[in-house]
Amino acid sequence: MAEPIYTVASDSETTGEEKTTSTFPEIAVGIDIGTSQCSIAVWNGSQVELLKNTRNQKIMRSYVTFKDETPSGGVSNELSHEYDMLSGAAIFNMKRLIGRVDTDPVVRASKSLPFLVQTLDIGVRPFVAALVNNVWRSTTPEEVLAIFIVELKVMAEYQLKRPIRNVVLTIPVSFSRFQLTRVERACAMAGLQVRLMPEPTAVALLYAQQQQQAVHEGMGSGSEKIALIFNMGAGYCDVAVSAVGGGVSQIRALAGSPIGGEDLLQNTMKYLLPNSESIFSHRGIDEIRRMGLLRVVTQDAIHKLSYQSSVQIDVNLGNGSKLRKVLSREEFEMVNSKVFEKCENLIKQCLHDARVGTEDLSDVVVVGGCSYIPKIRNLLMEISKKKALHEGIDPLEAAVSGAALEGAIASGIGDPFGSLDLLSIQVTPLAIGIRADGNSFIPIIPKNTTMPARKELVFTTVQDNQSEALIVVYEGEETRAEENHLLGYFKIIGIPPAPKGIPEITICMDIDSSNMLRVLAWATLPGGQHPATPYMEVKMPTVDDGHGWCAEALHGKYGATMELVTLRKKG
Amino acid sequence: MPAMASSPSLAHPNDHNKHILRRQRWTAIRCSVRERTNETNYYELLGVSADSSAQEIKEAYRKLQKKYHPDIAGQEGHEYTLRLNEAYRVLMRDDQRKEYDTSMGGMRVRFGNYGPGLGYSSWKGPVRPQALFVDGNACIGCRECVHNASNTFTMDETLGRARVKVQYGDNDQKIQVSVESCPVNCIYWVEKEELEVLEYLMQPLPKEGYGVFGGGWEIPANVFMAAKAFTKQLKRQKQDTKYGTETVGETPAQAEARVTATMKIQREKFYGVWNWVKQVFGDR
Repeated sequence: MAEPIYTVASDSETTGEEKTTSTFPEIAVGIDIGTSQCSIAVWNGSQVELLKNTRNQKIMRSYVTFKDETPSGGVSNELSHEYDMLSGAAIFNMKRLIGRVDTDPVVRASKSLPFLVQTLDIGVRPFVAALVNNVWRSTTPEEVLAIFIVELKVMAEYQLKRPIRNVVLTIPVSFSRFQLTRVERACAMAGLQVRLMPEPTAVALLYAQQQQQAVHEGMGSGSEKIALIFNMGAGYCDVAVSAVGGGVSQIRALAGSPIGGEDLLQNTMKYLLPNSESIFSHRGIDEIRRMGLLRVVTQDAIHKLSYQSSVQIDVNLGNGSKLRKVLSREEFEMVNSKVFEKCENLIKQCLHDARVGTEDLSDVVVVGGCSYIPKIRNLLMEISKKKALHEGIDPLEAAVSGAALEGAIASGIGDPFGSLDLLSIQVTPLAIGIRADGNSFIPIIPKNTTMPARKELVFTTVQDNQSEALIVVYEGEETRAEENHLLGYFKIIGIPPAPKGIPEITICMDIDSSNMLRVLAWATLPGGQHPATPYMEVKMPTVDDGHGWCAEALHGKYGATMELVTLRKKG
Repeated sequence: MPAMASSPSLAHPNDHNKHILRRQRWTAIRCSVRERTNETNYYELLGVSADSSAQEIKEAYRKLQKKYHPDIAGQEGHEYTLRLNEAYRVLMRDDQRKEYDTSMGGMRVRFGNYGPGLGYSSWKGPVRPQALFVDGNACIGCRECVHNASNTFTMDETLGRARVKVQYGDNDQKIQVSVESCPVNCIYWVEKEELEVLEYLMQPLPKEGYGVFGGGWEIPANVFMAAKAFTKQLKRQKQDTKYGTETVGETPAQAEARVTATMKIQREKFYGVWNWVKQVFGDR
């Protein structure tokens, strides 16, 4: 093997012995790319440390501007003014668009952003473009994400004086497996191997570490604690219930939805200027500028409402239209009541799924940009019947710190003081199953199953002498198959000829601890010892694009000739 | 299939790579389920006794996870963790645990290693409604009972306690003397129906250790309480089979079927890989 390109110069990092055998163990860094902000952290040997950019910032804005020939992101670049971000040249909120098709309501809601999000409503990826010197220049969410990651990577390599190859990246709970592949692609573009970790589970791991530390210091009791984790940023709202004890965070349930600060902002903008959508639909330079102005003013007002009960809005939108209004906290909460209601439902659902009552909860941890909103805090205290929320976890640094911890654990490094004697046990955020019994979604691995997981179900044919069956794999919670995320499909062939309902087709799903999904399928006749044909083993997802019409086209072409139904066990 | 368990290097030729993030690597779902899987029950897997509390099960589960979870142990831990998760899922739910206990316990008591010399007593003459039982936990190993009724009682030298070898092996008088001679009163007259459960529970169950700690054998602290719970479950099982029961999770039989099925595939897969390896490396 050739010499590694980099050698570790610092002698404090590793011992000489380790260096000669291999470059591993290499501590993976943790990265949190939020809808509006991003950060990077690493285990420095004794604790988690957030890395700062050249402007001494730990938390950086998640955007890429295409102003000059080479795009530059919020890590290295500094905007001369906030409005620059809203000139149409900067692309942001990509975390909300990645891996989504243009029929997705979240994509439609993004059309009021200053850059161009064009949808044709046919179930393909949206067209995203930045305005550069009066030209709409196209880009993709993956590309924008990769630019952030490269900038963060370069920054970390410079500071740590070693190459970064492995990262732990936090992701929203509600991301489908297809979206995860897009995030992985962005990381691959940046030259990184990635492990993805749902955001609230990263927070739970940090909580587990703190509890463990308290025990070491003789402060904590060491008994099991059940924590409710609520994480709401600009783009997503995630909830987790974790049972924490002995340094192990055992996730009991997850729930998530693409609602966040961005929805609060858009609702408030609409409230302040009811006809804003029609005013800005042309997307001339002027309209973009005015929309940007309104955005900045609204955002500022929402921030202020976290600390004061009302805020004065006074802005000249040009073109003779002025906006002057006092916005009260009550109005803000009323305008966004649907969003808060959704949050409430997520929390209740997660507690229900975890089979945890409020009396069992030891702590309620609230993190993310929206954690400062009084309504959110009250909501959590109300549901959990607690007088106070857990303190001691920084709301903006929690996810990235947890990711850095996971990076250190997965890299296999030991810690002499046992600070890394931790483990995060994950669950599946969504059910995975196949289409069967007509157009139903039959889950094989249910939601909130502890990973690694393996489950199987037996199906049978619907036609006499049916020799082939179409296995269409979906992920989601809806009863109708097509309302879930399509992950992929394959055909099982060579089913032995038999009357309908006789062959046994077993579908086995296996998820390993790094969340890779494999689907195994085989057909047998009752009483037969061996499957009639070789086993099929398919890595999911297999679908690349056009989820909307893929399943439709398959159904249109094959109809019921290759369908399956669940096999009812006799007795 | 001895090669199966002893070939972990097959999927991980680069041992030093073991600890890097494993997302990108594609390893076939291998069979690292050892043969003992078939005989290991959930309690043995978790290394806890059959009457352990939820808290004890939880702690054992976490300790084992910290050791075998694939994040820590690598891909080798996959199969083991799958079983661990399954065991934990069943034992943590009261209803499923009872169901599991019943099927396991029932099988054990009725078909288990029943016979003299294995801790179970045999009967001399006709079966009577009452039987003798020595609470091994209380027994101090004074040999008083063996001395007075040597055909009935025997010393278990490894455990240092007495037990009943043959029910009514001596005449009634001798037995009466030996029962009264016990300084700690640990010889009981029990209903014959209770006997097999009690004797089963008196068997030390192997307890899995964590590293060098905690290994060994375990016996429920209060055998009579444990037996009561056990008998209740047996009754429940009978009722359930009578009225039919709605099973949510897997029964041990189903779990077994699943394990065998997956093992079959993996075995075949393994042979595929093995043949390939032989082809590639065999001639060197």
